[in-house]
Amino acid sequence: MSAIKVMVVDDSLFSRTFIVEILRDSGLEVVGEADSYDSLIETYERCKPDVVTMDIVMPDIDGFECSRALFVKDPNAKIILVSSMKDEESEAEARRIGISGYIQKPVDSDYLVQMINNVMAPDIHYDHLLAYGLEIFKESLTQNISRMTKSPVSFTSYENFGDHYLSQGITAVTGLIGRHSGSMILDMSMETAERIVEMLLKRAHRNREEVLAMVAELANIIAGVACSMLNKSDKTYSLSVSPPSLFYGTGTEIMSPNLKMDAVTAETNFGNIFLGVGFKKGSSIWM
Amino acid sequence: MDVSIINPLLTAFTEVLPQLGFQSVERRKVSKIEAAFQYNGILLNISLFGTVKGAILFGMDIEAAKKFASKMMMDMPVAELDVMARSAISEMGNMVCANTCTQFTKIGITDLDISPPTLMISENGEATLPVPKSIVVNFLIDDIELSAYVSLMNK
Repeated sequence: MSAIKVMVVDDSLFSRTFIVEILRDSGLEVVGEADSYDSLIETYERCKPDVVTMDIVMPDIDGFECSRALFVKDPNAKIILVSSMKDEESEAEARRIGISGYIQKPVDSDYLVQMINNVMAPDIHYDHLLAYGLEIFKESLTQNISRMTKSPVSFTSYENFGDHYLSQGITAVTGLIGRHSGSMILDMSMETAERIVEMLLKRAHRNREEVLAMVAELANIIAGVACSMLNKSDKTYSLSVSPPSLFYGTGTEIMSPNLKMDAVTAETNFGNIFLGVGFKKGSSIWM
Repeated sequence: MDVSIINPLLTAFTEVLPQLGFQSVERRKVSKIEAAFQYNGILLNISLFGTVKGAILFGMDIEAAKKFASKMMMDMPVAELDVMARSAISEMGNMVCANTCTQFTKIGITDLDISPPTLMISENGEATLPVPKSIVVNFLIDDIELSAYVSLMNK
């Protein structure tokens, strides 16, 4: 197996040399060094590291700013912040923007190497979510549609989400917030939604708001039940559901630019329902 | 929804956007909005959950979105709102919302977290926000018009 490739960003020649020596002594490959914002992007693109260690306090710019610039270039960049300062606010924001780890100076060599290995190691919890997450959401959708409408649901895989998905009419976007946050997209045609409303209320829908409210509620319930099931399987997921936003109109394109979505089409007696689910990898161990 | 709930977002805009290459962040109009509204162009949705929950959305027309992405990519020409441009705008939303959560901690709300962004593009789209009475803030960012919809409620 080839060595993990690391790029070191620090304005201090001493700190950079110190970190580089630690990494090399531990068998990691240092593929690039940068001492400023100006050299950061160019070095990153040229040496394509697996992991970047990033000083937070630099003269003209801070590590957060550099990290933001890197994420614009590569949303999947793996960055470990290295700083003498370490407070709760900085740590929390680092997690939210997708920083992989945060280590305090003076750098403990064992900690740093362990953190880099953790960042690169498979995350069992995350892999489990990726492997089974969609199945759980399918089960939740099936349970809810079957229970509410006493009718069957079958699924066909949807491999073409790729860059974007063209809405059938109404889309509910639900945030899934937890250790690995994500999104659920539920999409159906207006006619499908109207037929479900008719089935549930035993009368024709009165207005569009009634139909939209049903889609929002359905999304909320499917996401809520699925997250409960996932939390039961492993409470460290700690997933909660944010109330959905709805989007409708003809020709709406939906995309999830920095998150891979797994998707299926649910075939129901009322019409097809598109279900997409994606989670992002959370931060690694914080030291 | 109390209009002061937008203050963390306003601070986040002025902190984060200069770091992404923008020179001027000017807040224009702040108004209340019903849950349903029309849009033309892009809408970026990011959900929040914690003591307050809901979503923050960013809207721009297509030309504005292209200019915005170009600015973020060091003035690289953006003829189409391609994968790279969409990714850049999504990252902006992610960073602004992450920083908004940090600003909320300064007023005692410390448990917020955000979802990954979802982007919608439509010529004549309509949207319904998660909270019935929400707030829209119009910004002019280096002559680019952007609307931010703050739709949050107490848990």
